[in-house]
Amino acid sequence: MRVYVVCQLVGWGVFFGMQLAVTLVFSSIREEPPVQPLWVDTAYLVQVAAIGLLLTHVSRRYIERAGWKAKGSLALMPRVLALACVVSLAWNCIGFGLQFGVFDYPAPKKYPLPLLFGVSLVNGAILLIGWYCVYFFYQLFDRFNRLEIERLRLANVVKETELRALKSQVNPHFMFNSLNSVRALIDEDPSRAREAVTQLANLLRYSLQSGQMETVPFEDELAVVNDYLALEQVRHEERLRLRLDVAPETLRLPVPPMVLQTLVENAIKYGIASRPEGGEVAIRARLDEQKLILTVTNPGKLSRAANSSSSQASTGLGLSNADARLRLLFGEEATLHLYQAEHDTVAAEARLPLRPADSDHLAPAPTERPRRPSPALAKPLATRS
Amino acid sequence: MKALLIDDERLARNELRRLLAVAGDIEIVGEAANPAQAREQMAKLQPDLLFLDVQMPGESGLEFLESLEPPVPHVIFTTAYDEFAVKAFEFNALDYLLKPVDPARLAGALEKLRDRGPGGSAERAAAPVPERLSPDDKVFVREGDRCWFVEVKSIRLLESEGNYTRVHFDDAQPQLFRSLNAMEARLDPKTFFRANRRQMINLQWIDKIEPWFSGGLLVELKGGAKVELSRRQAQDFRERMSL
Repeated sequence: MRVYVVCQLVGWGVFFGMQLAVTLVFSSIREEPPVQPLWVDTAYLVQVAAIGLLLTHVSRRYIERAGWKAKGSLALMPRVLALACVVSLAWNCIGFGLQFGVFDYPAPKKYPLPLLFGVSLVNGAILLIGWYCVYFFYQLFDRFNRLEIERLRLANVVKETELRALKSQVNPHFMFNSLNSVRALIDEDPSRAREAVTQLANLLRYSLQSGQMETVPFEDELAVVNDYLALEQVRHEERLRLRLDVAPETLRLPVPPMVLQTLVENAIKYGIASRPEGGEVAIRARLDEQKLILTVTNPGKLSRAANSSSSQASTGLGLSNADARLRLLFGEEATLHLYQAEHDTVAAEARLPLRPADSDHLAPAPTERPRRPSPALAKPLATRS
Repeated sequence: MKALLIDDERLARNELRRLLAVAGDIEIVGEAANPAQAREQMAKLQPDLLFLDVQMPGESGLEFLESLEPPVPHVIFTTAYDEFAVKAFEFNALDYLLKPVDPARLAGALEKLRDRGPGGSAERAAAPVPERLSPDDKVFVREGDRCWFVEVKSIRLLESEGNYTRVHFDDAQPQLFRSLNAMEARLDPKTFFRANRRQMINLQWIDKIEPWFSGGLLVELKGGAKVELSRRQAQDFRERMSL
């Protein structure tokens, strides 16, 4: 706004100054005595500049109202041209009207009045086109600046999320509870205790490394989720029942690390840990219309998660972080949302569009990949007891 | 001492059992996996000591404790990682153990408990009608993320706030999740006096008594609170004090 006012005043000031200079130069080289005193010319120029300022100001409001700022350059060009003509016509009508109608200037002798009017009309239109060009260039520049700021802000969000992710990917409450369970297992079931230590180590290693990686193959993520779930089953025992339904073609697709883990952790926090009777957590991964769709369901009500007791209340941070990360990596088409799937089932669904390069991963898996065996297939996670 | 273990994880309860085996005077009378079970067990077993997990399904350990009819038994909290709870415990010097439990810390907590003497709810609460609270009994109060075990004798003033009661003690005045009438029924009438419809005072905490308008009295408590008594209440009060 301030920029606009300054530009208008300076612009029309310069316009006035130049016109005045031209008038002065002409009157000095003209032999014959001037037709009218200089102050009359000056007053006339002030009036022309003032009307110009007023008209451009009015047309700016029209441009804003009509939403021209959002239009593309092709749509803008004819409109600007037309507007310049119309405004120039108005400007000249007012100008000539005042000059010869109201103030009774002597009619020019050298050229006929209609010709002068026509030339002035074209001049005005050109000047106005210049004005509108400057105006729209500024708008463009401003929009670019804003986009740049937005981009920097988003980049900052990424850094922040990464940092937070690094700090809190493994929920400390889960970790210490698991350690406690492992200590109990050492006496009760030593082989299970050894297994649990391995699983905990896998989970810790993965979560420490995941901050450095943009994406991981989905099967790696799934392997860690399986380790995590095995540990949660040690803790919750028969209260946690699992169902896994993973389409084989999804295993090679790249996903942001911890994306499924976040959903599963949420499902357990709100669907199992907060319910005395526990329940079933179901994980589903499928490919649909060039999108990887991960769905995790748990028993419960959506509103319940929002207003349960303070110690278990949702900050919404975990999922909103994951959502931000998804959008940054996969664009606006990537979504993550929570919804009430059935009467007593909450579902969290992440949709990740495949990027063009990702379709290579859809090809049959080459045999030489020395990866850990696909956990979903290698070890069905039945309810442990 | 009869102890009840309350934790939603079987393995965690087993681990605590193993740790407590070395403490000869602790008898584990039962276990509960959630607050609902814990209530049943408490009614049946009358424990003197609770090992209480803070994070449990349905209801947190603190909410559970708040809902108990006073007096509450001794409580040792257990938690894996809960910054808020730990802060609250440290602030009020409540006993808590971090899981996995350090045997030395457990021994320390039990030592402190023995110094404090018996929790005392066991045989008394067995009576069909809940007895009056004794001055050494404790009431659990929680407000926001702060919580207290308040000894009845340290309560100066109770003020009715609808279904709640504001309890004044030390330099705190949190709200108790009970009506003043319900509290009056549980407090010893020899110590606590219903000064008016809204307030109840602890006679041990009276500092000054002044005559007030139209035969009433103005009682000033140690700590500064002033409570007005109408003529009728003043009469009761004089009778009580002369006894």
